[in-house]
Amino acid sequence: MKEPLANIQKQTHQIDHDIWLYIHLPQLAIEAVAANLITPLKDGPVAVASVQRNAQRINCCNLNAKAWGVEPLLSLSTALAICPDLTVLAKNTHQEQQLLQQLALIAYRFSPNVIIDTDGLWLDLSGCAQLFNGYSNLLKKLYTQLSAQSIIAVSGVGKSPLAAKLLCGHEFHHYLPSKLEIQHALLATTLNKLPSTAKQQQNFKQLGLATIGDLLTLPRSALSQRFNSDLMNTLQLLQGEKPSLLRHFKPANEFHDKIQNPQGLYNKESLLFPMKTLLQRLCQYLMARQCYSRKIVWQFEPLLGNQQSMSITLSGNNHGWSSLLSLSRLKLERLELPRSIEQISLFCDQFMVMPGLSFDLFGDQITLQENTSELIDNLNARLGVEALSRPTINAEHLPELAGNIASIEKLIGSEQQLGQAQKPLWLLPEPAPVRLHNRQLYWRKPLTIVSGPERLCGNWWQSEQQRDYYLACDSKGARYWLFRESTSKQWFVHGLFA
Amino acid sequence: MSNEPLLNNLLLRQDTWRGRNRSLRRHVIATGNENLDRLLLGGWPVSALTELVTQQDGIGELSLLLPTVKHYASENKLCVWLDPPYQPYAPSLVNEGVPLDKLLIVRSKNSKEWLWAAEQSIRGKALLFAWANRAQPRYSALRKLQLAATESLAPVFLFSPPNALKAHSPALLRLELESLEPNILSVTLHKLRGKMPGAKTQITLGERTTERILLDKLPVNIQYPKMPQTDFPLVQKDDIQHLNT
Repeated sequence: MKEPLANIQKQTHQIDHDIWLYIHLPQLAIEAVAANLITPLKDGPVAVASVQRNAQRINCCNLNAKAWGVEPLLSLSTALAICPDLTVLAKNTHQEQQLLQQLALIAYRFSPNVIIDTDGLWLDLSGCAQLFNGYSNLLKKLYTQLSAQSIIAVSGVGKSPLAAKLLCGHEFHHYLPSKLEIQHALLATTLNKLPSTAKQQQNFKQLGLATIGDLLTLPRSALSQRFNSDLMNTLQLLQGEKPSLLRHFKPANEFHDKIQNPQGLYNKESLLFPMKTLLQRLCQYLMARQCYSRKIVWQFEPLLGNQQSMSITLSGNNHGWSSLLSLSRLKLERLELPRSIEQISLFCDQFMVMPGLSFDLFGDQITLQENTSELIDNLNARLGVEALSRPTINAEHLPELAGNIASIEKLIGSEQQLGQAQKPLWLLPEPAPVRLHNRQLYWRKPLTIVSGPERLCGNWWQSEQQRDYYLACDSKGARYWLFRESTSKQWFVHGLFA
Repeated sequence: MSNEPLLNNLLLRQDTWRGRNRSLRRHVIATGNENLDRLLLGGWPVSALTELVTQQDGIGELSLLLPTVKHYASENKLCVWLDPPYQPYAPSLVNEGVPLDKLLIVRSKNSKEWLWAAEQSIRGKALLFAWANRAQPRYSALRKLQLAATESLAPVFLFSPPNALKAHSPALLRLELESLEPNILSVTLHKLRGKMPGAKTQITLGERTTERILLDKLPVNIQYPKMPQTDFPLVQKDDIQHLNT
């Protein structure tokens, strides 16, 4: 009794370790072109055409066009004769690749192993069930996210990438089929779907083999005598006996995306829509890479003339596309743009790792930091980087070097504790000369020295300065920080004790 | 009563006058000085605009607020200094215990930007110190800040020049700061709900021993003996003796 049980356990073990989902995108060609159009497509028959067999032929068409009788490989002129309302788009392989990359980013959030096919994606789902609380939940979430991109997707599940692709049906899975169901479906699949040469297909027919099941029942040794090693290889890949050598998807190291509009955009308001699309793509990328961006750069290319760029520095935690859009909008208001914009691109190559989110006892996310960085970003976007600064401290003797003002991007340390002598809170940007008249110092008012001096010297290799600092006050109780230059004996006021 | 929610909303606002009922004004933060707390009925009003009219720079107007800055910095809040008249000196801020990374200095180019930055900082829940260096902001601009402040969780401080006292202000608290002798700040109340204007108090800023040096002993007040010119700008021996006394 023990053995069959062990066998079953082994089998369940196996299914947990080899589940591949294939997402087929039957209308990828149309969706890729439509995603880069600024004006959305109408709800009519749409087809994508390309040059095949020496003529313009239909490559891919939507359901509406299929209802009219348009189908792939039909010549373009015939298609237009059948369906005069057909919207024909040119095939754009580059845009298709771009869309696949974007979808792979979404898929990457569900599975660590994603492989990009020519018109689909493979996801290794094994081991992903627990995170999403079951496979049906995972599939539901994945489907919702794909639909949000207005993508039509169908899926197939198998124990190897090839099997998943062969088993791809006409709809998206809402639950994971059992191992037995998968095996039955695979065995019942007709042999013409198997990647093979025409000669092999001929051979299958001569041998009376119709389904993959028929082929697999034959002993391997007999098959390898009759067919070449390619088929054996395919069969091993199909059974999952041999690991697939396809390249796994990894998110790119930097983000670069663009939207073109050949008609040109003439006002800033109309720029916001394509900018929103680009930011949404950036946010998907950031989410997949689990990081925040530190800086994003917009580029606006006109039809004629030089491109205009606009960079936005972020202090972090701003990962929602809506907040990025409002920042870009603030910055855009200050920008002088050329009359018409043909292409908008978005770059991002500076990232920081997303810190672990902390929650307090009652499950509320701690968001104190978020406010500060949002405020800094807002001020930055409207007033410019040069408007913001921060006091910094340096290991120097002369006060104007020791206490400085630096841009906020610089990280500062405030560990240093300086001497006990009283220091003013305000420093004049430049020491102001004090008038000495009849043994009385004047700066705005007559000054009286209260205490001092404290001698501060500059670095001899930079400036030979010796200064004696005194604390002075005037008749109204204001206190000043004066110094006398040793060489010139000239008095200066350098700070105020506010 | 259909008016009840409306009334409740009105009563929640800081700038609604409610007679002599002082117990209702409880959104305050201690100033760190007992005399001042007594004068202000508890401390700086939170979610409200406070206007500080300084008769002169350098009398300790900033030291008065350092405990508040430290308090909010410890709560991880940013302190925005909008258009400070001079450069804040980092070493003394560090000596006072203010973390520098919680300070942000903002410079505006015109009064429109000034108002926008001030409002943004208040709405961004930061502690705001604003200096009106250009023209004194209009009543409507200050009213805007006061309204924004009602939603904030921190006090808003506006430093105004002495001539601002002639104009009306929507600020909840208005104080005049002057100093008669060093280290002693005299505070005059000009406007605070629940208290008569004109009340005064004196604040001693720090117990630093200010050793008064006799004027005769200072190099300023003595006639220097004519010394022959040397190649090196050395400190004269007489000088050092004077400095050491």
